Amino acid sequence: MRRRSTRAWLLSLVVLWLAAPAATAGGSAFAAPAAVTVAELLADPTAYAGEAVVVRGELVGDFGERRDGTVWTQLNGDPYAEAPLLGGGSLAGANAGIGVRIPSEAWPGFDRPGGYRLRGPVVEATGVWRYHDPARGGESYLDVTDLELIHEPLALEEEMPWLPLLLGFGLLGAAAAVAVAKRRRAED
Amino acid sequence: MLVRPDVQDFRIISYYLGRVLLVAGAFLGLPLAWALIGREWAPVSSFVLTAGAFALLGVLASSRPPGEHRLDWSHGMVVAALTWLIVPALGSLPLALSGHFGSPLDAYFDAMSGLTTTGLSLLQDLDHLAPSLNFWRHLLQFMGGQGIVLAAVSVFAGGVGLSLFYGEAREERFLPSVASTGRFIWWASVVHLLFGVVVLGSVAYFTLGFSPVRSLFHGLLVFFAGFDTGGFTPQSTSIGYYHSAVFEAATAVFMVAGAMSFGLHYALWRGPRRWSSLRNLETRTLAFTLLLTATLAFLGLAVLGVYRSVPSLARQGLFHVLSAHTGTGFATVPSSELVRWGGLAFGGVALAMALGGMASSTAGGVKSLRVGLALRMLKNQIKLVLLPDKAVISHAYFQGGAKRLTPALSQAVLLVSLLYVALYLLGAGVGLAYGYPLQDALFESVSASANVGLSVGVAAPSMPILLEVTYILQMWLGRLEFVAVFALLGFCVAAVRGK
Repeated sequence: MRRRSTRAWLLSLVVLWLAAPAATAGGSAFAAPAAVTVAELLADPTAYAGEAVVVRGELVGDFGERRDGTVWTQLNGDPYAEAPLLGGGSLAGANAGIGVRIPSEAWPGFDRPGGYRLRGPVVEATGVWRYHDPARGGESYLDVTDLELIHEPLALEEEMPWLPLLLGFGLLGAAAAVAVAKRRRAED
Repeated sequence: MLVRPDVQDFRIISYYLGRVLLVAGAFLGLPLAWALIGREWAPVSSFVLTAGAFALLGVLASSRPPGEHRLDWSHGMVVAALTWLIVPALGSLPLALSGHFGSPLDAYFDAMSGLTTTGLSLLQDLDHLAPSLNFWRHLLQFMGGQGIVLAAVSVFAGGVGLSLFYGEAREERFLPSVASTGRFIWWASVVHLLFGVVVLGSVAYFTLGFSPVRSLFHGLLVFFAGFDTGGFTPQSTSIGYYHSAVFEAATAVFMVAGAMSFGLHYALWRGPRRWSSLRNLETRTLAFTLLLTATLAFLGLAVLGVYRSVPSLARQGLFHVLSAHTGTGFATVPSSELVRWGGLAFGGVALAMALGGMASSTAGGVKSLRVGLALRMLKNQIKLVLLPDKAVISHAYFQGGAKRLTPALSQAVLLVSLLYVALYLLGAGVGLAYGYPLQDALFESVSASANVGLSVGVAAPSMPILLEVTYILQMWLGRLEFVAVFALLGFCVAAVRGK
């Protein structure tokens, strides 16, 4: 009985011994990936190189489904992802985006990325930040392993601004009138 | 003694300015059609308003024909300078009404940047911009790159357009008349356009997996910005958006084509001695400076240890040097990363921007021909010192045939080159005064003056208004190569103080 408990104790010790390096190494198998913003990634990209990170943002532009089975798109982590201009958000500078590569097994098959009159799907992307990846000619991108949908895409309404339209037709009409008058004067 | 311009002078300038505005306004039919097809109602209304403004101003300005009086050199220069101030002002209306700019001045900055094929932008939230408005920004680059005044000359000016032609910083007329030269430039551009859209669209569709419509959209817009060495892009991450070496290579082909003079295009397409054009001083100078700046950039990036493999360094370094030297302004890295390219890498890219592409191309900067002639002068000066007194020093050079470097030509070359250097320093000085680091202030100033568009982040919606106005003036002066702007200033002074 005592020999059996000693054996179990020894076995546990060996497992802990083997697991220790993995647990203490950077980007450990047990530690949760760090949550970072796109702005933080762009401000100090080397700090996260090769690290597993979680980034939240809106998928915009195109869903490029390539022949190798991966999908490439852009993830924007700017204020427009939460408060689009057409949805009442205010101007907050240029977009802040990174490229993301999503393997087919992690791709949820979204219909449309964000763009004009559409706030795209807001997701939390977990993956490894590949900074100046030598395997891809020095490109930087997030190599996604898991994608979680936070907000569904949101269609945005834009009303017809009638005043500029009427003013424009008025100006065109005035231009036509001046042109006709000019021609008549020339004929006379 | 300054001679005050009379009513007839104003009438001639007004007439031709009006005709140019009518031609420029006609281009609005394209984005308007795009917006109607895409049911983009807000842009539709802003395009109608802008078309109305162009039409009314154009018709009013050209309502009194100049009669017997002919357009002379100074009139043409003034028309060209005014055109390049007024077209962006009217062209910025749809941008200002889009809600994507902090102020009308920001929208004017973008329109000026587009028309002068610079590529710096203050637009906010580009990734949600209406496609028709994005198309308009890129079409402005196409109009400016090929020459909006040139388009008007091709349509209506006939034999009177020589001064308008030179006013827009065109330096060679390779066909007997200005109108036929203008028509060739637009014809060659349309052929390139069709070819470019097919090539870039195909790469986007087959390699990147974009939908057919989006492939065409990207192909068209990237062609406009690449061939016209403009630098605007459909998405906020510039060419880095595509994550594709094939797409970058295809884009680079059109950037180089855009930086070639239209005279060289003509010689390569139709000329009887097409390959002799490669012996031109300008072509050889461009090849030399490209090699020099690329070597500097590669060495700098290697010293910084930015890239971990030679192919990565070569791909990223070469693309940015090409983008800088051709005056395009495309990037595959964000400005926050470009700002960290110090030392030789910064020097290589900044020098490439400052020197620029070929004369009579869509590129900006000092231009290869002037650089080549300046180097030739330096060489002759060294020979003069080293060789015996009686030695004969040749002043000949080859540029579409044997030519002679005369004292008057030398003076003009040095003057314009010095003016560019002064313009670079002026913008850098204003940037420094606002507290930006020297390297950033100089980089952005050169980028604006040489109509490149690469940015280290100084040109942003939050920048001081005086700096914004400085960059606008730099883009305008750099595109027109000073002469037309000085003619306008002289005309204004004569109107006030002349007798």
